[in-house]
Amino acid sequence: MATIIKSYEPTFWDKLYIPALVQGLLVTFKHLLRKKVTIQYPEEKLIPPEGYRGLHRLNKDANGRIKCVACDMCSAACPADCIDIIPGSSPWDDGKERYPVSFEIDLLKCIFCGFCEMACPEEAIELTEIYDFSDYTREKLIIDKDGLLDVYDKTKDKNYYSNSQNLTIKE
Amino acid sequence: MPLLKIDDLEIEVKNGTTVLEAALENGIDIPYYCYHPALEIVGSCRMCLVQVEGMPKLQVSCNTFVGEVPPERKVDGNFDMVVQTQNDLVIQERKNILEFLLLNHPLDCPVCDQAGECYLQDYSFKFGNAHSRFDEDKRVRPNEYLGSQIVINHNRCILCSRCTRFTREISGTSELFVDERGYSSKIAALEDRPLNNLLAGNVADICPVGALLSTDYVHKNRIWNLQKKSSVCQDCSVGCNIDAFYQKRKIFRLNPRENQDVNGYFMCDIGRYGFHRFEDLERVTRPLFKSNGIFSEISWDTAIEKIGDKFNGAEEKVAGVLSPFHTNETNFMLGRLIKGIIGTFPHIEDEEITYPSGFRISSDRSPNKRGMHDVCPSIVDDLASEINDKEIRVIYILDNEIDKEIDETWNKILTKMDFIVVQAYAMTRLAKSAHLILPGLAPFEREGTITNDQGRVQWLRSVLPNNGESRPDWEILNLLYKTGERFSDINELMKGMGEQFPSYSGMTFFKLGDQGLPLNGNLKT
Repeated sequence: MATIIKSYEPTFWDKLYIPALVQGLLVTFKHLLRKKVTIQYPEEKLIPPEGYRGLHRLNKDANGRIKCVACDMCSAACPADCIDIIPGSSPWDDGKERYPVSFEIDLLKCIFCGFCEMACPEEAIELTEIYDFSDYTREKLIIDKDGLLDVYDKTKDKNYYSNSQNLTIKE
Repeated sequence: MPLLKIDDLEIEVKNGTTVLEAALENGIDIPYYCYHPALEIVGSCRMCLVQVEGMPKLQVSCNTFVGEVPPERKVDGNFDMVVQTQNDLVIQERKNILEFLLLNHPLDCPVCDQAGECYLQDYSFKFGNAHSRFDEDKRVRPNEYLGSQIVINHNRCILCSRCTRFTREISGTSELFVDERGYSSKIAALEDRPLNNLLAGNVADICPVGALLSTDYVHKNRIWNLQKKSSVCQDCSVGCNIDAFYQKRKIFRLNPRENQDVNGYFMCDIGRYGFHRFEDLERVTRPLFKSNGIFSEISWDTAIEKIGDKFNGAEEKVAGVLSPFHTNETNFMLGRLIKGIIGTFPHIEDEEITYPSGFRISSDRSPNKRGMHDVCPSIVDDLASEINDKEIRVIYILDNEIDKEIDETWNKILTKMDFIVVQAYAMTRLAKSAHLILPGLAPFEREGTITNDQGRVQWLRSVLPNNGESRPDWEILNLLYKTGERFSDINELMKGMGEQFPSYSGMTFFKLGDQGLPLNGNLKT
């Protein structure tokens, strides 16, 4: 059965438009006086809170060696299947038998869920606060072992963005 | 026959069957470590404990035999034995045994190569405790090499003694033994007699935990990344059944697959590590034509046309060289195609090795010599002299061993030829001498049937995908036939082969299955 929908009939005051205009402008002027929330990216950068899941890093142990034992737990846990590890016998002979010969993360596949971090038995892989790592080619966005260890060096002491250098735009 | 009751299942078993065997056959899961169907029973791991009605303590099911008892002693007046495998007492006991086994076992599953196929891991997960009550330090011992290919990680060993029994009973070499007693027991080999027999790789397979490791596979990959396909070993004419584990385009390891009619449960190290020689080869992936001593790529159509012209021009003066490394189908196709003479390269015999358990490594290190002769009865004995006598000018060669040497006689023959076609997968010495190379498939890419020296036809399954423009070998030969004589697919071809050779009739891949079939009415040793 067809229902008849009555359209809204504007009243006299509605037809004047002025009250609505004033109402809207009030909101505008109220916000004009408040503190600004817009961040002028990329001149100015947001500093993410702790626990933010950004670019990965591979941690180093006290001797400065890679912590990872290439157990493949992270790649097994990875829902995006973006981690590619080639394990091998380690060059050190002090009980640590395994290490990754190659460790690659395809950042374009990664969904930054943090499962790798949770699966890691050695606390070797971690997600850092770095979020701006875009690039021009797909190949450059496959980060390798050295790249991941570099990220560790950059982020081990303090928040990456608390370093003023990282806040300025690179040419 | 004695009537056995396991849990709720009532089964009649043969006199003298063990409870464990009866349970496993009927789908009841009893955990075990030291039991192996091919080895002597020791009952040392105590993992398979079950409750047998009327017995005061729990019994090891692998060493408890079921037998007929007099009518007045039957349980419930009916059963010869009543066994409980899932009650609280048994479950608790399994938990206790696992706690003992894990006292000194390190929790290094993430770096252990057995993880994913480890019985200790599985059973701990199923029956064990999540926490250890053992506060003291774990016993730590360094790894040792038992032989050139086998490493032992003493910390992980649970002393089930499968490996020592293997060297004693199967290989008959007795290199391994349990050294010292009690808490300091460990698996060891004498310094002057390391574990270097050709069956050594099997101890890593039968080890239920990650204690014995093959240096060939250690730290190479994780088992859950690998895919498995069953195939047949191609390194001697015994044709051991294998499982090939691969990832993408690379084989990581070969494991033996059970086939009581061929290899039992084991395989030799020649076959186990043999796949490495097909890695890093200079592969031929497009048809190559040699002009002025340099190979250049041509298309399939031109290649087939060129061969057709030469064959027509030479008429009966064509020779075909079959290969015992190829499948029955490929050899059959070439044998039928060549109007001239058919032969094969002189065969090189190797050492025949037989172990006390009956395990055999054949002197014939090619997989399909028997099948080649079966499907091409017209093979001449001395191909070289026949070629000289009949003034053959065109020759079609199926590739042979990867490192096949060409001797003086053959060198002379090949230089005299007007046209040499070699069907090969890599730039071997033989391929380099050709005028035209057709890219076929490498051993682990081929599919077809092979016949072992006992006359058992087995399904050789392709494990890896094709490379580039290369084609299955039988398909290449199929292209050389006239349009009306071609086969539409490999099943059709097998049918055609069966019509010509009755002993191969009625064979399909489906019928051959995992275990293969003996030649129809033609089984001889």
